Amino acid sequence: MSSPEPLGENDAERPQEPRRKTSQAPRIGVFVCHCGSNIAGTVDMPKVTEAVEKVPGVVVAKENKYTCSDLGQDEIIKAIKENDVDRVVVAACSPRMHEPTFRSCIKEAGLNPYMLQMVNLREQCSWVHSREKEKATEKAADLVKMGIAKAARLEPLEAREVPVEQSSLVIGGGVAGIQAALDLAQMGFKVYLVESEPSIGGRMAQLDKTFPTGDCAICILAPKMVELSRHPNITLLSYSEVEDVTGFIGNYDVKIRRKARYVVEDKCVGCGECADACPVKVDNKFDMGFGKRKAIYVPFPQAVPLKYTIDRENCIYFKTGKCKSCVKACANEAIDHEMEDEIVDVKVGTIICATGFDIYVPMKRGVYKYWEYQNVITGLELERLLNASGPTGGHLIRPSDGETPRRVAFIQCVGSRNKKIGTDYCSRVCCMYSMKNAQIIKEHEPDTEIAVYYNDIRAFGKGFEELYHRVREEYGIEFIRGRPAKLSENPETNSITIRAEETLLNKITEREFDLIVLSTGLKPSEGSLKIGKILSLSLSPDGFFMEAHPKLRPVDTAVEGIYLAGCAQGPKDIPDSVAQAKAAAASAASIMSGKKVKIEPLTALVDEELCIGCELCVDMCPYGAPEMVESEKGTRARIVEALCHGCGTCVAACPQKAIKANQFTDEQIASEIVSALEGEDGATGEERKASKKAEEA
Amino acid sequence: MTQYTYFFGCIIPNRYPGIEYAVRWVCGKDGFDLDVEDIKEFSCCPVPGIFYSSDKNTWLLLAARNLTLAQNERREILTVCNGCLTSLLKATEYLADPKNLGKVNRVLSQIGRKYTGIPRKTEGRRRIMEPVKVRHYVDVMTNDIGLEEMAEKTKRPLKNISAAVHYGCHYLRPTENQTIDEPNDPVKIDRIIETCGAASVDYEDKLDCCGAGGGVRSHVVELANSLTEDKCRNIAEAGADCIVTGCPFCLLQFDNAQKSFTKEGIPVMHVSQFQALAMGIDPISLGFDTHHVSAHSFLRKLRGT
Amino acid sequence: MGEAEKTFISGLHEKLVEDKVIDESQLEPDFAKEIVKHGGKDVMTCLQCGNCTGVCPISLKIDYKTRSIIKFCQFGLKKFTLETRWVCATCYRCYEHCPADINPAEVMIALRHIAIKEGVIPPFIRMAAMTLVNYGQSIKPDPEIERVRRELELEDMPSRNPEFAKVVREINLLIRSTGYDKLIGIESEVKK
Repeated sequence: MSSPEPLGENDAERPQEPRRKTSQAPRIGVFVCHCGSNIAGTVDMPKVTEAVEKVPGVVVAKENKYTCSDLGQDEIIKAIKENDVDRVVVAACSPRMHEPTFRSCIKEAGLNPYMLQMVNLREQCSWVHSREKEKATEKAADLVKMGIAKAARLEPLEAREVPVEQSSLVIGGGVAGIQAALDLAQMGFKVYLVESEPSIGGRMAQLDKTFPTGDCAICILAPKMVELSRHPNITLLSYSEVEDVTGFIGNYDVKIRRKARYVVEDKCVGCGECADACPVKVDNKFDMGFGKRKAIYVPFPQAVPLKYTIDRENCIYFKTGKCKSCVKACANEAIDHEMEDEIVDVKVGTIICATGFDIYVPMKRGVYKYWEYQNVITGLELERLLNASGPTGGHLIRPSDGETPRRVAFIQCVGSRNKKIGTDYCSRVCCMYSMKNAQIIKEHEPDTEIAVYYNDIRAFGKGFEELYHRVREEYGIEFIRGRPAKLSENPETNSITIRAEETLLNKITEREFDLIVLSTGLKPSEGSLKIGKILSLSLSPDGFFMEAHPKLRPVDTAVEGIYLAGCAQGPKDIPDSVAQAKAAAASAASIMSGKKVKIEPLTALVDEELCIGCELCVDMCPYGAPEMVESEKGTRARIVEALCHGCGTCVAACPQKAIKANQFTDEQIASEIVSALEGEDGATGEERKASKKAEEA
Repeated sequence: MTQYTYFFGCIIPNRYPGIEYAVRWVCGKDGFDLDVEDIKEFSCCPVPGIFYSSDKNTWLLLAARNLTLAQNERREILTVCNGCLTSLLKATEYLADPKNLGKVNRVLSQIGRKYTGIPRKTEGRRRIMEPVKVRHYVDVMTNDIGLEEMAEKTKRPLKNISAAVHYGCHYLRPTENQTIDEPNDPVKIDRIIETCGAASVDYEDKLDCCGAGGGVRSHVVELANSLTEDKCRNIAEAGADCIVTGCPFCLLQFDNAQKSFTKEGIPVMHVSQFQALAMGIDPISLGFDTHHVSAHSFLRKLRGT
Repeated sequence: MGEAEKTFISGLHEKLVEDKVIDESQLEPDFAKEIVKHGGKDVMTCLQCGNCTGVCPISLKIDYKTRSIIKFCQFGLKKFTLETRWVCATCYRCYEHCPADINPAEVMIALRHIAIKEGVIPPFIRMAAMTLVNYGQSIKPDPEIERVRRELELEDMPSRNPEFAKVVREINLLIRSTGYDKLIGIESEVKK
């Protein structure tokens, strides 16, 4: 690490940074960015430039309208060359976006890319102080001065390269996970797909038809599911869960628990004799509780893999130690009640997280009486009732009496756009799935009267508005603008009266319906919290996984080498999920196809002389980066750079001050603080202390 | 043992003295024997529908004055009225904001008063202050005394009586931050009714407003009465013998409004009166003759037991 | 439904007929801010879903709908909200159900404050305030009830006690200090 070599890249054409004598005083170039009017609209830029020009060490200070533009970067390069600058301060936006930009810019000018200090004048100054221009200008100047103080103490660093494992882990076997896995496999990478349920297919497999075109969901999904199971590059780990992930980009070690399904996958041919023999009948979760299945089951006929699973909780053998009817029925001797969970270890270079969503479950004792009235169902339950392979063979019935409902109402935004219950976001699919289902109901029973209670209609996708038009024009679906306030059931007929304000009429209306469908929204899947912790992913305020940048890095996460696909990142429809899956696969592939990846050198370093081997850092590190090694001086800590995220926890914890964090050394941070405390006269605290001492003397 | 001070408000002493008698009896020697005293300098809470609705500064000052009285005695305020509850409770929340507190105390100093809250504990040299506690009668009964003890004291179970509970809006939603029962599914008064040996009947739109609140009764009495009419129709359909409420203002509305649309009417009483009956009080002490809707039908049915 | 309906329904309709088109001159652009100043939440966040109207017991009875009053506020149609304010029973059901978390009942209260400032003061406010400054309570003592109190052996009303005069003095002082007496026009009743 002590090597002053520039960024370790075998790039002979680039001019190598001239070695400087360490004794030479730093020559700092300061570049202050207007960011259009983002910063300059609040901060008086010439004043800031003027204030920092005079700071010792600064050899050139310039302002620029857009420093990140080609022109702006050219100016930096020019200034570096002309003024023999050896370190650079860019006072602009958050380093999150443009630190890499300016690193490569100064590298082009021949400097070590880590001789850059960014000062955030936008998020941390102009945007938050837009009403106090003078004070903002003052603060901006102070921030830049702090940056200069730190820049003077920067050391050149070297990025290391590590090889990238040519394989990927896809978590979640819904349509997004399936698509991402197929794309990566097609490109030649090895893929492990982990799905917690016995079959892949996810939520899409439960749907009847898809909006806006009306394709049968399982008909278009099943071929992909089969293709996936047969692809030589894909290992499908169904009924499995990710237990632990360690390592770093290009080199992740993954521990996967293969839950015991009590059926040997290799022996099971999916004939179903066992299920015929099984005496236990329980609600089928896949059919949202409407249909029944046996204790040994496949969730739906098109399941992949078509391997049976014993539901331990309901199996008589596990309760009483007797039965084994399935064992007797199975000609292939595939059933093994003694099977145990198995842990599989795999090594992958990248991870795609496609953990999907759950359906919002209406509140107990809520206004919409989901738990009280039988004839109030959710959108997903309706999908099962309309589905040809569903519990009713596609015939829509009222749960209370099995009759065909003549009047159906949809209530929109249940569990979406509601600040009261903390789901502020729009779930993006409910408007369209309700219209689609309304159309299907009309196709089955043209005499059905259908009303949709809505707040706003979101028909933004391709072909969506056309569907909105079609259901009104061709199918006569009625749209009532108002959020229902009260549902009351007629105890004799079990029909339900909805009271709502028809806001466009300014009247309160009461209408009776036979079946109420709550267009329930999407929420993060239950398992995603656990996966998020394992992968150290951050969450957006809505509880879904947060992307690295909402516009420019929509499938990346803050953790390098981990990507998002589908509803794990936020509610989306099938086309968007597939598109994002393809993007995530492409991003993962772009890392893996490079064969090697650079590791940021902003890591912690242990000074062996000072370390006493107390192991406190080992306990504190969230990433398992420090390890204890034997050296001549005894047991000492060492940081495995590739694992280190540079968070600084160990630095703060070390009682010996033996650990330093590159680019955040005590000296560098102290210099910023001293600069911040500098008085009006420009004297630093230290200088003032010194002069005070002198006076006293 | 918690120390309380009665806060009867304006309606009970001036319109329904029977409630005052019942509350004093239930909380007194013949009942649960609580440590509860009177503070004679309490004024109007003041009425939220008038003062909170017209000028919050004046409202807060008047409420703060009442709070200082309880604070100086180190007692929890035991209100018998939903209006007093919401007014005083809201005031304690307003006074938790130092800006409001400073403004209020500057004026209160002119009458020699200061609101500080009640010291609960000391941490080092700092005293941790807590707002004056404002409690609803039903809250004290169900939480501090408890259903079991209440059931024990039931000497004359009101077996053949079915009561329709009206909670009253400001029992359900005293403030945005505090509730004393589940706002969409309150149970506490129903439980009290059950400990009295009676049945609480469910009826349509049970949680709807009586119609009187927020100045509606004073401003457009027909509008208020028409809401009461809807409620009474639902209550009658459920076959209730009486309406039991925790709020004297709702009681007043039910009691007065019924004559505008019916001759007979359903008797209305405060939960304390109902309790006192079950605990064996002589009905003559409950001041039913000051009620507009005669309680005769109810008392006759009661004697039938 | 008698008087109430006439006052509250026809009032608005006649006005709407007069001003067929609402032009900018009728709008108060900062009305939403004024409401916030008087303790209401920001009405601009309202989605106009109508849930508040649906749960409002008063909206069932009269043509003023909670949602539409909020809409007036969003628009800045201050004058349309003038008479609507005293029909809210402050039952807070709208608050319980509002998906935008606005608390329409508190908006109604803010509208009342604004109305009072504008001099639209319903008579019962003055009545109650006058009773308060004279008796320390909002309801006048009733001799018949006082007789019953004595029968029940309850103590006399504190307001009958000469020492209670001090309480009344304090209340008068507090009411004067905020200028409430002038605000609602009862200066002559308030004792110095």
